[in-house]
Amino acid sequence: MERSPVAFDQNSSGAAGDFPALLRRKGLLSPAIIGPTPQAGSPQKTWQPTEATTILAFKFSGGVLVAGDRRATAGNTVVYDRADKVLEIDRHSIMAIAGVPATAWEMARVLEHSFQYFRRTQLQEMSVDGKVRALSKLLRDNFGFVMQGVGVVVPIFATYDSHPNPEAHLYFYDAMGAQFEATDYAATGSGSPAVRGILYYENNWGAKPLHKMSEDEAVSIALRALDTAAESDTSTGGVDRSGKIYPLMKIVSGEGITTLPEDKIAAVFKETVA
Amino acid sequence: MIEEPYRWVEAIANRREYIETQLAPGSPIAALGYRDGILFLTVGRTRQKLFEIYDRIAMGGIGHPGDIERLRMAAIELASTEGFTRSAADVSLRRLVHYSLSPVMKSAFEQVYGAPYLARMLFAEVGQRPSEDLFLRVEYDGEIATNGATYGQARQDFAVLSGTPQSRELMEAFLKSQHAPDASFEVALNSALDAWSIGHMSLQASDANGLPERAAISKYRQEQLAGRGIEAALLERDASMAIRYRSLSDTELRPLINE
Repeated sequence: MERSPVAFDQNSSGAAGDFPALLRRKGLLSPAIIGPTPQAGSPQKTWQPTEATTILAFKFSGGVLVAGDRRATAGNTVVYDRADKVLEIDRHSIMAIAGVPATAWEMARVLEHSFQYFRRTQLQEMSVDGKVRALSKLLRDNFGFVMQGVGVVVPIFATYDSHPNPEAHLYFYDAMGAQFEATDYAATGSGSPAVRGILYYENNWGAKPLHKMSEDEAVSIALRALDTAAESDTSTGGVDRSGKIYPLMKIVSGEGITTLPEDKIAAVFKETVA
Repeated sequence: MIEEPYRWVEAIANRREYIETQLAPGSPIAALGYRDGILFLTVGRTRQKLFEIYDRIAMGGIGHPGDIERLRMAAIELASTEGFTRSAADVSLRRLVHYSLSPVMKSAFEQVYGAPYLARMLFAEVGQRPSEDLFLRVEYDGEIATNGATYGQARQDFAVLSGTPQSRELMEAFLKSQHAPDASFEVALNSALDAWSIGHMSLQASDANGLPERAAISKYRQEQLAGRGIEAALLERDASMAIRYRSLSDTELRPLINE
């Protein structure tokens, strides 16, 4: 008997507590559109999606530092210089995004609601493995857009696991949804080759390895890395001193997530970078 | 078959009586608005009765666990899809209960060939100020009672739910005289425990009239707490956090109880 407009069949389709499945059932999740991919020699693309660029994350003594520049571009146009690419998903998880913000922000929103929906309906927190997999699945579902040349997203996911051993975990993904756990650092986006070079160098031959660094030292390295990326990559914003625009940085630790205040980043920048 | 209207009315009356009997032993739940939020409290042995619905909404229920579960799930689904497609600020308890839950519960109750919901629920939504706190009690037939200042009823900063109307009214009478919206957490906690004790006493001895003596309440409370656990949850008023719900453990509450 159809008893109400309210759906009560939460366990009959998909896993229990699966929020994307609920959205799909209600027709609220945009399905992946698989269409013809652009052929070689086809007419010049006239439209280019807005894209966000360089993000990085590494483990230091106080947890995981996640940083991103603020620039969003479409082709060679700067669309926005205060884009937020480091997003809080829950009390212990951060997703940082490189790629198309329209898709990435929607993914972050689905992810945020998925974790909360799971906790509320199943009366327990989703495991770290479950969270990592949830993002992987969203990327996989989005692959149709990627094949069409729009909507590519390459995120970094940082989270703190309190069971069984309290420890911070860092993952990066490819556009198809493969997840890779990083031992020390991760960087994605167009400016990432330079960033990876710097982090690799610092970790192996710097004054001390990344995981032994203090917060100030970690902020300094992140600023230098983004500044270097901006030097050669026009899509990366780096630091705009005249506009007082600094990269966004957040730290994941056992206590939760802290957003570093701009004046602190500015002070470290002035002392060690400028 | 029930063809005549009279037979339908009779069937509904029987059904009401049956549900009331089923709900009668339900342990009371008290929700008190205080300075820093809303405190939900009950005392029980096993089953969880207090639940998080959305960022600012919590629920407590008595009845059949299967029915409570279906309604809880429906409330979470509705709130989550609304919060996702619009924003968390658009999720409203008033709309959730009035437009979605109540009509469903009413039609289930009145369709005499189907099963009704064996559940009575108490919802609360925390506001920026105590005067914006909303409490709604929803009955198995979809009837809604609110704390709002409507039709000359004085606005109350608390709401209770219990197995019988008599038990509920005693708890309300007690809180009306004892509870103030600017109370501290400790004071609210102890008022809630007293209200629970009064409600529970009334369920045990339904012939008693009026509020019991102060000393009798304390004695009863002490006896009950020796063998049962406190289940409590908070909706915090602190607007710096998105998610205001937090469950409180028995062990963190025990030291705050006045003996």
